[in-house]
Amino acid sequence: MSVVPPLPPAVRRRIQLRAFLIQGSWNYRVMQGTGMAFALLPLLRHLGLRDGDLEDAVGRHAEHFNAHPYLSSVALGALARLEMDGASPDTIRRFRSAIRGPLGALGDRVVWATWLPLCAAVGLLLYWAGVGGGWAVAAFLVLFSALHLTLRFRGFRLGYESGTAVGPRLKELALTRRAERGAVVLVFLVGGLAGLLLTGDTAMGGLSRSWSAGAVAAFLSGLVGGVRLWRPTALLTVGLVVLVTFFGLRAG
Amino acid sequence: MSFLALTLLGALLTLDGVTVGQFMVSRPLVAGAVAGLVVGDPVTGLMVGAVLELFLLVSVPSGGGRFPEPGPATVVGVAAAVWTAGPGGVALGVAAGLVLGWLGAVTQSMQRHANGRWVPDPTREAVTPDQVAAGHGLAIALDFARGALVTAVGLTTVLAAGPWVTRGWPLSAADTRGALLLGAFVSLGIVGRTLLAGRRWVVLALGVAAGLLVGWVLP
Repeated sequence: MSVVPPLPPAVRRRIQLRAFLIQGSWNYRVMQGTGMAFALLPLLRHLGLRDGDLEDAVGRHAEHFNAHPYLSSVALGALARLEMDGASPDTIRRFRSAIRGPLGALGDRVVWATWLPLCAAVGLLLYWAGVGGGWAVAAFLVLFSALHLTLRFRGFRLGYESGTAVGPRLKELALTRRAERGAVVLVFLVGGLAGLLLTGDTAMGGLSRSWSAGAVAAFLSGLVGGVRLWRPTALLTVGLVVLVTFFGLRAG
Repeated sequence: MSFLALTLLGALLTLDGVTVGQFMVSRPLVAGAVAGLVVGDPVTGLMVGAVLELFLLVSVPSGGGRFPEPGPATVVGVAAAVWTAGPGGVALGVAAGLVLGWLGAVTQSMQRHANGRWVPDPTREAVTPDQVAAGHGLAIALDFARGALVTAVGLTTVLAAGPWVTRGWPLSAADTRGALLLGAFVSLGIVGRTLLAGRRWVVLALGVAAGLLVGWVLP
């Protein structure tokens, strides 16, 4: 593997901070493209590019790109390395195209489908168990941020150190396998939350048995019906509030 | 005063949802606590936030999809619950949160279409650093304004609807809680469904048993 060219700390910090704005101008045309160009501007200026060369470089990074926002830092690191190594525009374009899909799918699976609901379930369990709202909120934020910030900062470093070899390096981390294990924990927590809500005094515990029976039926219907039931459920809840108020006003 | 503070909070939480950082302080559990502190009732804020979090557990800001926007929805929901007297306040808060989540999603989609018009198009023109910075900055500023507008519209609506709900809501606090949690149970079931594979139903059953036990044992 070639020697990793040193990246000035000030440039690295500015790219990493700008990475937090990667989705600032998300749109259906170039998606995160403009955000990628914005994040890499400090590097392109550091490289001393001027006029046409600078516009070409900005233009290639502003082209269509989309990945998971946290794992975009991995792509930023690898692209920064390619620019530092003086890779050709074609190589950079091909690399951008090749890496965006896998980074998007990996992030969706690890962060959105597993880690976020898992951390939220921990916070909710603490809240409904009566441990204290402050602890519930703190647990959620600390747990979630641990992975979030690791992916952002260490991801950038991994990308920069690996360059185009970042794919195999990511595989070594076995994130998908870890997400599988996390999903098992999440299933347990979701079950635990349902059980706690049924019996806990702050939820259904102190209510009549008919509410508990309704809750069991609702949980089972969600298990059977899946995500297509979410919107009708939300509509039904809103409709129920409106109708109960309406008939209450008429009766009163 | 709290109207302005909540509008500002809604705008800031809108940015956290997708545009700036995604630290997840816009999730209902966190946003509910913060909004509760702003209106001087963190207990109610947390309760509305926790119920909305149960509903939105299936909703994540994935890619270009349209998903309920939790930040401003929770701010308006908490304000409705605190400003509206009686147990109907929490019901109005959760209902307003669900409606505002949808309104946030629709306006976010509209803004994403609009963003495509003012960010530079590298396939058509040479792109300068100034164009990138200006387009990016404008989009973030407009997202902030959109969040403020959605929150202000929501707050105005719940201020107007509150007195009607106070006069008309016939259910006790306990029955109100039961009715709202029914929807949350459907949402929990949906999350379980998305994860069930192989023999994970055994893990789910073990979790339910553990949760029941903890609920019975806890004071």
